[in-house]
Amino acid sequence: MSEALVKTEEIVKKAKALGADEVLAKTTFGKYRQVRFSNNQVDITVAWNDYVTDMALAWKKRVVATQIHNFEDVDGAIKRLMDLAKISQENPTFGGFVKGKFKYAKSKADEKLRELRNLTDYVLEAINAAEKEAGSKVESGGILFTKFEDVYLVSSEGPVGVDNRSAIELSIRAFSEREASGHGVECSSTLKNFKPERAGRKAGEVARLAKGPKVGEEGVYDVIFDPLIMGSLLATWASMASAFYVMVKMSAFVDKLGQKVAPEIVTLKDNAAQYSLANRVFDDEGAPVRENVIIDHGILRTYLHNNSTAKLFKTETTGNAGLVVPTPWNVELEPGDAEVEEIFKEVKRGLYLTNTWYTRFQNYAKGDFSTIPRDGIFVIEKGEMKQSLKDIRISDNILSMLNNIALISKERQHVHWWGEADPPSLAPYVLIKNVRITKSR
Amino acid sequence: MEDLADYVLKYAMDKGVEYVEVRAQQQVQETLMLRSGILEAYMWSVDSGFCTRVIAEGGVGFASTNKWTRDEAREIVDLAIRYAKAAERSEKLVFEKEKSVETKWTVEQKKKLEDVSPEEKIAKLAEANKALASCGVNIAATMLSCTVNLISKHYVNSEGSKISSFIPRIGAYSFITVAEEGKTEQAYQQFGYCGGWEAFKEWSVEERIIHDAKVLKEVITRGKAIKPGTMDLVCGPSVTGIAAHESCGHPMEADRILGREMSQAGRSFIYKGGPYWIGTRIGSEAVTIVDDPTIEHSYGYYAYDDEGVKTRRRYLYKEGVINEFLHNRESAAKLGTRSNGSSRSINYDREAIVRMANTFVLPGDYTEDELIEDVKYGVLMKSFTEWNIDDKRFNQRYVGREAYLIENGEVKHPLARPVIETTTEKFWTAVDAVSKNVEFEAATCGKGDPAQGVPVFTGGPFIRLRRIYIK
Repeated sequence: MSEALVKTEEIVKKAKALGADEVLAKTTFGKYRQVRFSNNQVDITVAWNDYVTDMALAWKKRVVATQIHNFEDVDGAIKRLMDLAKISQENPTFGGFVKGKFKYAKSKADEKLRELRNLTDYVLEAINAAEKEAGSKVESGGILFTKFEDVYLVSSEGPVGVDNRSAIELSIRAFSEREASGHGVECSSTLKNFKPERAGRKAGEVARLAKGPKVGEEGVYDVIFDPLIMGSLLATWASMASAFYVMVKMSAFVDKLGQKVAPEIVTLKDNAAQYSLANRVFDDEGAPVRENVIIDHGILRTYLHNNSTAKLFKTETTGNAGLVVPTPWNVELEPGDAEVEEIFKEVKRGLYLTNTWYTRFQNYAKGDFSTIPRDGIFVIEKGEMKQSLKDIRISDNILSMLNNIALISKERQHVHWWGEADPPSLAPYVLIKNVRITKSR
Repeated sequence: MEDLADYVLKYAMDKGVEYVEVRAQQQVQETLMLRSGILEAYMWSVDSGFCTRVIAEGGVGFASTNKWTRDEAREIVDLAIRYAKAAERSEKLVFEKEKSVETKWTVEQKKKLEDVSPEEKIAKLAEANKALASCGVNIAATMLSCTVNLISKHYVNSEGSKISSFIPRIGAYSFITVAEEGKTEQAYQQFGYCGGWEAFKEWSVEERIIHDAKVLKEVITRGKAIKPGTMDLVCGPSVTGIAAHESCGHPMEADRILGREMSQAGRSFIYKGGPYWIGTRIGSEAVTIVDDPTIEHSYGYYAYDDEGVKTRRRYLYKEGVINEFLHNRESAAKLGTRSNGSSRSINYDREAIVRMANTFVLPGDYTEDELIEDVKYGVLMKSFTEWNIDDKRFNQRYVGREAYLIENGEVKHPLARPVIETTTEKFWTAVDAVSKNVEFEAATCGKGDPAQGVPVFTGGPFIRLRRIYIK
């Protein structure tokens, strides 16, 4: 048993000895590296070393949590937390941490990402690819991010696990003109499958096509969503499946379990798979992660749970803990039958959107929202990409859009960027009918 | 904290770098959250660590750790220097020159946050929830939270600056869903203060969330849609504040103007060689918008920024004209000016970047009644729900939460979610009058990658806009 796991176990034992009913401790040794670049040059390269134990305990259904960053005073932190539990308030809905001994899948983290050298080279590869597509005047910016975490989890309720989690992602936005840009991302859990040039090429290509944008017109359009912007929508739908957000009505899926919420071609999953940036083998309670089918051929089948929310909903944990808020790890929309070209041919007059930002809701329970497409926005006429547009907004309803999915491509891409397409997802090209577009007046 | 910071500084300076700074920080944090009256969890933690930022061979490297050992300190300095050199920039980075500062600053608390028991904090939130539950409105769900931060910082740099500070900060958040007649409406409120527990009473949390609940009920039961068209608009402090923040504060961030945020938060409609620059008119003469970190006890208060620069009030749009950008030392050097103390970071493990503090429209001469009296037909939008703005900060949208029709100078029935969707220039140019009184609101401003949510004040006076399209 590794020293870190032994120390994590000691934390649990000490808290139990002080009278805690249930204890959960997760120690993470994280190394995170990031290059930020703009105007084709590196602005800053950043390293974060983070050593932390996340600890939660329950005493007579009083749930308290802490993060221990100072390992010189672990005993003091445990005692303080126990004292806090005794003066805290009972949570009658606390269902206990997940119980049992679990066998976890073997972690396949990429050791090369533990300390990757020559970070700048990957960035330059992407910048150069964008330049090849959009010309030497293109201005690119973005980030390269790497992560390697050693994770040790011990629960008084049985789970004990070790996980290694690795990830690398590059996000690049290229400007061919002041208001003509494209955005590409490349996301992987291993260096082997990471091709920064691909992201640069996509950003450059879209930027080149986006030159000379005109202000778009209001109306109702059939819209093809690129995998990157689809990632934003998938993240929204999957997050609304969190049982916590259902309980606080920050979800349009309240009271819709078992109901048809999408056409039959839509199957939406959460899957912390090995390929994903969010790869893991257990959740924050030590429950094994698993593939969860949230929407099965259009029918809402499950919310995402930790052990407590599962008990409230009279079901089992889905392996998505979060101490308080269950969370999707990696969203997957099942592929459809269509080639990307076929989807474009299907659109007589519509739009092709590549990215969006600033999604905000008027009312989560109803699903009314707006979001602002950015980077390449294109008119499609008779299946062909035509004029580039700018300055439009999707002002619609998140449930209506889910219901109006008409075609899904076979091709999918693993996407993630900033908080806009987060959590990561495996996203296809998707045609959504009758999307409402507005603009400034 | 100070010893290790000095050690890191000396170790890095001995390596012959062009510039180095060290920021050591301890943050004691407590968060409690009630879901529909039930305390979900009480979280308490102490996070402490330090970072170093260096300039070497014209590149910038940054590294942080929470392991307080000299071995670790040397490792992160070596990493930061290696990273800085690896940047291989053609245009070498420098920071604008600043005089060194040695000082200590703190924020006073009438009732120290550290002296308030967890029981009292729980009780206050629970009381607010109970009052809301019995206010005569059907509340379908609530989420109330309170967060306390006690932040100690020690900053040193290779130019001789040495600054220690202590900031106690308290924030609260509410999100409620009202269900009436089979329909729902939702509202959130944020509260924030630098100082002690006295804030909680001053906020009047109960009153404000009950007000929200009653407003939402009114919107559901009596709210009517506005007939779309061009009309006058009176914005309350919430709406004035979000507009000032989004369409003045953000586009005036110099790092954004220079493209450093081009991939994430975006660029700005203001850029060199473009139609808007310092001296260009962007609004009417009635509009002066400032960003001011020096407002005592404000949520965005600080005396020195995270680069050791003394801060001050910044006049962003002055009498309708683009006047002064928000700068850190890097952006100031690039544009040949001085930093105005706008560099902020949320923790030791994040680089300091250009940020707002408290952004608001300066008050005018009118009473609120006078603004409304002179409107023949229009909308009074007191608060908003959905909002957003594009990444060049020009096309924005605000959807009214508490809004009323104004007819012949009188406030009439509630309106159901009226929408303004317009440009920055049209919005600020349409302003013809500003009220005397300013009301601030707390908010968390998002920017940076990884995201750094910094505490700010928005809010401001009531303002009147002529001939705006509302739908």
